[in-house]
Amino acid sequence: MRQLWHILKRVFLYIFLTGATVMMAFPLFWMISSSLKTVQETNSAGIVWFPPHPTLQAYIEIFRNEIFLRSYFNSIFYTTLALVGTLASIAVVAYAFSRINWPGRNIVFFLMLSTMMIPAQALLVPQYVFFNKLDWINTFNPLIIPGYFAGGAAMVFLLRQSMSQIPKEMDESAVMDGASHIQIFWEIILPLVKAPMATIATLLFVGLWSSLLVPIMYLQTVDLYTLPIYISTLYNINLTVQPWPTIMAAAVLTTVPLMVVFFFAQRYILDSVVISGMK
Amino acid sequence: MLQNPYISVIINAIIAILFIIVTSLALASLARLIAKLFKATRIQQENTFAGYLFASPWIVGFLIFVVVPLGFSLYWSFTDFRIASKEPINWIGLDNYIRLLTADSSFRASIINTLYLTFLGLPLEMAVALFLAVMLNQKMKGERVFRMAFYLPVILGFNTAVLLCWRLMLNGGTGIINQLIRAVVNAVPLIGWIERALIYVQELFSAFFLGISNQSFTLFNRVLEAGLPAANRVPLWVESPLWSKMSVVLLIVWGCGTMMLIFLAGLNNIPKDYHEAAQVDGAGAWRRFWKISFPLLSPYIFYNLIVGMIAMLQIFEPIFVLYRDNQPLISSAISMVYYLWNSTFRQFEIGYGSAISWLILIIILVVTLIQFWMQKRWVNYDLY
Repeated sequence: MRQLWHILKRVFLYIFLTGATVMMAFPLFWMISSSLKTVQETNSAGIVWFPPHPTLQAYIEIFRNEIFLRSYFNSIFYTTLALVGTLASIAVVAYAFSRINWPGRNIVFFLMLSTMMIPAQALLVPQYVFFNKLDWINTFNPLIIPGYFAGGAAMVFLLRQSMSQIPKEMDESAVMDGASHIQIFWEIILPLVKAPMATIATLLFVGLWSSLLVPIMYLQTVDLYTLPIYISTLYNINLTVQPWPTIMAAAVLTTVPLMVVFFFAQRYILDSVVISGMK
Repeated sequence: MLQNPYISVIINAIIAILFIIVTSLALASLARLIAKLFKATRIQQENTFAGYLFASPWIVGFLIFVVVPLGFSLYWSFTDFRIASKEPINWIGLDNYIRLLTADSSFRASIINTLYLTFLGLPLEMAVALFLAVMLNQKMKGERVFRMAFYLPVILGFNTAVLLCWRLMLNGGTGIINQLIRAVVNAVPLIGWIERALIYVQELFSAFFLGISNQSFTLFNRVLEAGLPAANRVPLWVESPLWSKMSVVLLIVWGCGTMMLIFLAGLNNIPKDYHEAAQVDGAGAWRRFWKISFPLLSPYIFYNLIVGMIAMLQIFEPIFVLYRDNQPLISSAISMVYYLWNSTFRQFEIGYGSAISWLILIIILVVTLIQFWMQKRWVNYDLY
């Protein structure tokens, strides 16, 4: 009897969790399904779970759209350039906070942690004026360059935690052999923090790829649009609203990189999100 | 000079890297010099040099992109600075703040909308996250797959593409969500009653908040008098001011994956023997949850509460994608950051925008401090 009750509980649990999974993943399914529909099917009064005759028309249209292709390229370009510099500078700074003893370290570290309290939005206005002075409006610079200064205190913190856990003996013996800090950083420490680096790279990628507010402030000509900006123009009630299958085809193509990255990095992320406790 | 935007940004990136290297070397040499003056040993000097060398990208960035901008924006918030105009900047004292707090109905609406999200969206999000975490915390096969699925919305979360998919799903007439609701309600009449009751409560709640921001409760009274909605009523997600915020709540609850992972970590930290001992004493699962897990989870609840509130205060993308320029609706959903974006980057009122930024900053600090002050009363740190 007890055994039966136990099995029954498990069955219910799995049914519930599967149901929850379906709900969580449903928008993704709906996006793909709608992108294969005709306009009539997306606006139909009955439920069309999956189009009976899937059509690739929307994809053909979106691939013919030069602005979309250009935005896709822009997104890849700006994300890559920003990601590389941000990741490198975060690693360097995390090294300073974890492996070197220098006077003032604790004060500077405390300052860095306290910047996490400042919402990014509070800095948007003055930064805009500053970049305007530099004549950086309508360039990718404001989206990329600030990251090169170890943008993202939470990420530095996450990496510092991982670097601190490496035993001190590792670099002490290297110092005996006359290695410089740059050598220790590059040859000993970095190879040991590959997993947290992968997490940080993924989280940075997700943030950059989906970022809307900052790009929309600085990129005002169509040539420079990133994907989120371009897609937001597809649905603008003051202009013409594009047919839903076209919007959804663009949406599917936008989310593919996120899905791929998440699929490969999930084993790192799911464990370390908990440590860092942020998106 | 250079027309190609790609080449020009690469050149600028290289210049930035050179700038970082030069300033880092300068800062580090300065630090070593000071260490020398204080008669530090040779090794201490070396460490000072290396430490400042490696840390200065952040230090320099902090000065350029945080300290100086914050200082300027504080100054501008007391002026009538407009970026497009050629007129000199005038010091106008507290006028911006007074206008924001007393005369600006959009800003008031944005604060009240944030309150709605905080009082309705945040508890719902945390409850769903906690529930999912408890369900996942049962040591079973395939737990990882479920965890991945529940975290997926966080990764997709606020991408414009996914938000537009929600827009499609939330269509009042033909959207899949309302079609499903209709189908279920037709099949099971009892659920129909529950659905109508929920619609009624939600609309009353929403009308109440709209009443505060419009300072007129006629809409609230109308909803109240109309009574239980008709049998065929469905939620008007993105079409009615009474529902615009609820749609955002739905999105927030959908993206509860981060909170769930944190609760899951908390549940894992609770020693097994606590539960086993209680089980021997005959306590059921429900009782064990409220008497053991819940109090011991309070630090995690506290953490999620703080991070969640800050996130509510900073919400932008959903409002932008769902309601941008949607004239009757935007005022019922406008958020503080949307309003900041609108007044700074469309009206170019830098002075006014700076005042908004400082108010957001102050609100976040005050809310966080209040939370930390209140935590002594309910957060239990016995395990730590």
